[in-house]
Amino acid sequence: MGEGVPGLASAYTILFTAALIFLAILLVLCLIRAIIGPRVADRLVAVNMMGTIVMVIIAILALMLQEGYLVDICLIYAMISFLAVIVLTKVYMGVYLARKDQTDGKEQENGDN
Amino acid sequence: MEIIEWLQFLIGAILLLLGLGIFTVEMIGVYRFHYVLNRMHAAAMGDTLGIGFCLVGLIVMNGLNLTSLKLFLVVAFLWFSSPTSSHLIARLEVTTDTEKEKHYREVPLAELEKEMEERKANSSVETKEFLTQKGSAGKEPRENLGQEA
Repeated sequence: MGEGVPGLASAYTILFTAALIFLAILLVLCLIRAIIGPRVADRLVAVNMMGTIVMVIIAILALMLQEGYLVDICLIYAMISFLAVIVLTKVYMGVYLARKDQTDGKEQENGDN
Repeated sequence: MEIIEWLQFLIGAILLLLGLGIFTVEMIGVYRFHYVLNRMHAAAMGDTLGIGFCLVGLIVMNGLNLTSLKLFLVVAFLWFSSPTSSHLIARLEVTTDTEKEKHYREVPLAELEKEMEERKANSSVETKEFLTQKGSAGKEPRENLGQEA
């Protein structure tokens, strides 16, 4: 970025590097939230946030390295992280409801006996 | 020409830093709230506003070409996907929560309106009590609200 103008290229490099380091710190904080989050929804929210931050990192890298195709990866990443959240919620809710049905059925059987 | 490029850099940098600031606010909110449904409120902010500011800053730096169109597409996709996933996570939480009364309470709308009117009719001292109790909302049930109802 910023070739031909004295000082601009290094300014871009410094800005992008600082932003990347800051986002990496936020990513680690997100990971800690995902580990300590007491409920499953906590972890899902944290994973969602991590996806968003990684998207920003990929977009910054695309401009920093001057590789336009990295933005495509960013778009695909957005779709896949959205899909992951949908699948995880559906699977977890299905498992929970099935287990609940099972225990309710057992209780009813015990009550009959 | 040089001035225009420096201006481009400055505006882009300000927008990018604004986006990073919103991510910071999001992280503070996620650590300070006590319950998932409260935390989600803070977490959804970064999904739209944070990434929006960051990518608009990058678009300004990049100038108008195909790459900036793709960057805009990422933001536009997140505008649709973020509310959807928030809705799904909230529904998961409400369905699988086994100790609801610890976290929140369910009130019919008519009762809630009545309660609000009562609170409005009473002195402002109660409002102050309500405001001071807000910090511990997730940890313990709001006892004073239950008594009023």
